[in-house]
Amino acid sequence: MTGPASTPIHTPATEARYDAEILIIGSGAGGATTAALLAEAGFDVLVVEEGDWVEQGSVVSFSLEQMDRQYRSGGVTVALGLPSIAYTEGRCAGGGTEVNSGLYRRPPAELLERWRSQYHIRDLDPDEMYVIADEIESAINVTTVPGAVSAPSAVLRRGADALAWQNSESPRWMTYPPGGSASSGQRQSMTRTYLPRAQRAGARLLTQCRVRKLSISGTSASDADVVLADGSPGRIHFRHVFVCGGAIHTPALLQRSGLRERIGDTLAVHPTVKLAARFAEPINIPDDVPVHQVKEFAPEISFGGSASHPGLVALALADNWGEFSHALHEWERVCVYYAAITSEGKGRVKAIPGLRDPLVTYNLTARDKQLLRSGLSRLTLLMLAAGADEVYPSYHNAPVVRSSADIASLQRSFAATKATVMTVHLCSTVPIGEHPRCAAGSFGQVRGMRNVWVNDASMLPDAPGVNPQGSVMAFAIRNAQRFIETERPHG
Amino acid sequence: MDDLALPAATVITGSAGWLGRALVHHLATDAGDHARDGEVRALVLNQTEADAVHAVSARARAIIGSVTDPDSLERLLVGLPPDTDVIHTAGVIHPAKVSDFFAVNAGGAANVAAAVQRAGLRRMVHVSSNSPFGTNASDEDTFRAHEPYNPYLGYGESKMQGELAVLDQVQAGLDAVIVRPPWFYGPLQPPRQTTFFRLVRGGRFPKFGAGMQRRSMVYVDNLVQGIVRAELTPGPSGRAYWIADERAYTVNEIIETVGRALTDEGYEVKPGAMALPVIAGRVAERADRIIQSTGRYQQQLHVMGEMAHSIACDIGAAQTELGYRPAVALYEGMRRSIQWCRREGLEL
Ligand SMILES: Cc1cc2nc3c(=O)[nH]c(=O)nc-3n(C[C@H](O)[C@H](O)[C@H](O)COP(=O)(O)OP(=O)(O)OC[C@H]3O[C@@H](n4cnc5c(N)ncnc54)[C@H](O)[C@@H]3O)c2cc1C
Repeated sequence: MTGPASTPIHTPATEARYDAEILIIGSGAGGATTAALLAEAGFDVLVVEEGDWVEQGSVVSFSLEQMDRQYRSGGVTVALGLPSIAYTEGRCAGGGTEVNSGLYRRPPAELLERWRSQYHIRDLDPDEMYVIADEIESAINVTTVPGAVSAPSAVLRRGADALAWQNSESPRWMTYPPGGSASSGQRQSMTRTYLPRAQRAGARLLTQCRVRKLSISGTSASDADVVLADGSPGRIHFRHVFVCGGAIHTPALLQRSGLRERIGDTLAVHPTVKLAARFAEPINIPDDVPVHQVKEFAPEISFGGSASHPGLVALALADNWGEFSHALHEWERVCVYYAAITSEGKGRVKAIPGLRDPLVTYNLTARDKQLLRSGLSRLTLLMLAAGADEVYPSYHNAPVVRSSADIASLQRSFAATKATVMTVHLCSTVPIGEHPRCAAGSFGQVRGMRNVWVNDASMLPDAPGVNPQGSVMAFAIRNAQRFIETERPHG
Repeated sequence: MDDLALPAATVITGSAGWLGRALVHHLATDAGDHARDGEVRALVLNQTEADAVHAVSARARAIIGSVTDPDSLERLLVGLPPDTDVIHTAGVIHPAKVSDFFAVNAGGAANVAAAVQRAGLRRMVHVSSNSPFGTNASDEDTFRAHEPYNPYLGYGESKMQGELAVLDQVQAGLDAVIVRPPWFYGPLQPPRQTTFFRLVRGGRFPKFGAGMQRRSMVYVDNLVQGIVRAELTPGPSGRAYWIADERAYTVNEIIETVGRALTDEGYEVKPGAMALPVIAGRVAERADRIIQSTGRYQQQLHVMGEMAHSIACDIGAAQTELGYRPAVALYEGMRRSIQWCRREGLEL
């Protein structure tokens, strides 16, 4: 299903009281898919979303304006630790899918097998998951770019090829106009795909509606306390609730509602470190990201390209501003790249009474820090192999790297505690499975609760080592299908 | 592609060393795996070393000199035909003081590369090491053919500078190939390697944590084969190859395999290993760093510090580009080492 949908019905929340058979909290990758499947199966579905509806294309992708309008807290929040890890989340109709890079990866078969056996997830069949993945790929139009890839993407390919490192173009959920170029795509986010589908099947969507907590008695939840668009309180009564607020806000909401056991204790992320690289020729494309990824060292380490508008180039150079700032004058020849790792560290999300946002902590292990060093050094080598004149690694007092001998001083002086460690992949705060350490059952039913479900990135048992949205959607659809089989809608 | 023709003459530096004598044996005796005609010149430090080389091959011509002395290198290379290859193995691993590392490993490589370039000889094979690359970031990680430098202390730094000096000469027109062997083992080994057998026999080989660190090792004959393949395979100058056994071994596997090889050779072996917490490895590493910063060098600490980490490398490029085929693996190689020690009357 591609192309513009009929104008969807979405209204800011204004009524003091709503009723729904199924309440879905959050309209991102998990919430939107759940809404479409349940509405199409005949359930009465109400989706509530804290953020606004922002039409794709009305804001420049990866711009500062987008950070203001579609991200939580203007773009950056911090998980405390040594080092602290900055993370970003979408907050708008469609959630992270509206602002992200759109790089699609299926959950690898080995990953599904590991999750099944390690977390005792019932009926997790890779073949069934791949049937679902096929459906998703056609629904959001997963495709490679038309014609040649962009210059910053070609840098990754050229460098990796020179070093004989495995690399490939990651397909994206995009549509391109006839004869369009690599950067002319339109993101097939949830506001263009699953949300209109849900609405066509009768689902209602309330924007600017933040759920504060659920009222729970015994094993059932009955109502949600919400804050309406004008800031006044409201209440939504439901039969079932799907919490899909993302890996930070889903556990926080459950904790505020009195559900604390194992919830929020197992935050997993893909920590990343960055560098900026300067080339002889102009390569910067401010409103798009590279599509190539280097998977030679996956799943431990992966490389790719980051958004690189001048503001973000400045951010990447900020760690050694005195030495690096001259590169900003030539930002057209500079691009930002990342090295991501699969971390063995663990984080926590803790709702604090009286505070709107939860406290998030994350601790890297000694191995994680070594992998970050190795990742950043290897990425630097790749940039030199691709022909970079100068590389500026993002950590405090980093050297300018011009030759392979300079990388030795990078390795000597790097410390994860000096680096700007970031992540955009957050998950696993309410992991599913029958294993005692899992906070929800194999299909997302919160332990001990009859009618409370999680169906977003929180449910992934641990960090997938690949871009997660494809996995979030596939699991959300699998769980929704199971729900439909067992809870047939009335009449 | 066809191999290059065998060279008219071959020069070996460091030829009284462990690897050097193995090369002399394989290239300049009829029993060697890669026996060749033509002159074989061997750089040695003194008459004792010259005798040691002649004990391996009567026809090798020993020249006394040092890689740290450019004049002696002129003498070493004088009068050789243009299609001569130079195999540079001279280096120090466990010196008395840190500055020796730099004089020999960095300065020596620079001198040899410059001398070969000046003499207009065919190709230089530079024997480097894993140490310019440090240790793997995790036990699952494997070094690829191309890796960023991350030198491990003085030795690593000096070997990195050696590589860089050779690569400088490559820019100036020298034809050179770099070979990077990790930890090697086999006959002709120096005394510190018999300590290794003794530690395993006594059940006292140090093992950090669960012993799952991976180590690439290379049996000396495999290494000689890799060096000869690098010497004779046509290709652009400045390439570098890992030369090791087919795959890396875990520390547990090394202890178990060596124990089995010793048992099968009739030695009594006390099972087990000296289990050490990972932190002990870190402490050794820290101490090694501090001692080296004062210009001194302590062998046991150095080896201990490294043992807590993985050093695993991927030989795929050598296999596909050079046709390198490691023929001997750990068990067989260790049995041959043990037999050699016994023949030499060495106490294990
Ligand atoms: C900058 C960026 C780049 C990324 N790039 C990629 C990529 O290239 N490929 C990929 O696969 N993944 C990428 N991701 C990750 C991907 O976007 C997420 O994994 C995915 O969106 C998670 O889906 P979700 O449903 O768990 O949460 P989200 O999509 O974050 O949706 C959660 C929604 O719930 C709402 N919400 C939260 N709390 C409440 C509440 N109390 N009441 C009401 N509403 C609430 C939020 O406002 C939000 O809209 C990226 C993420 C970011 C931020």
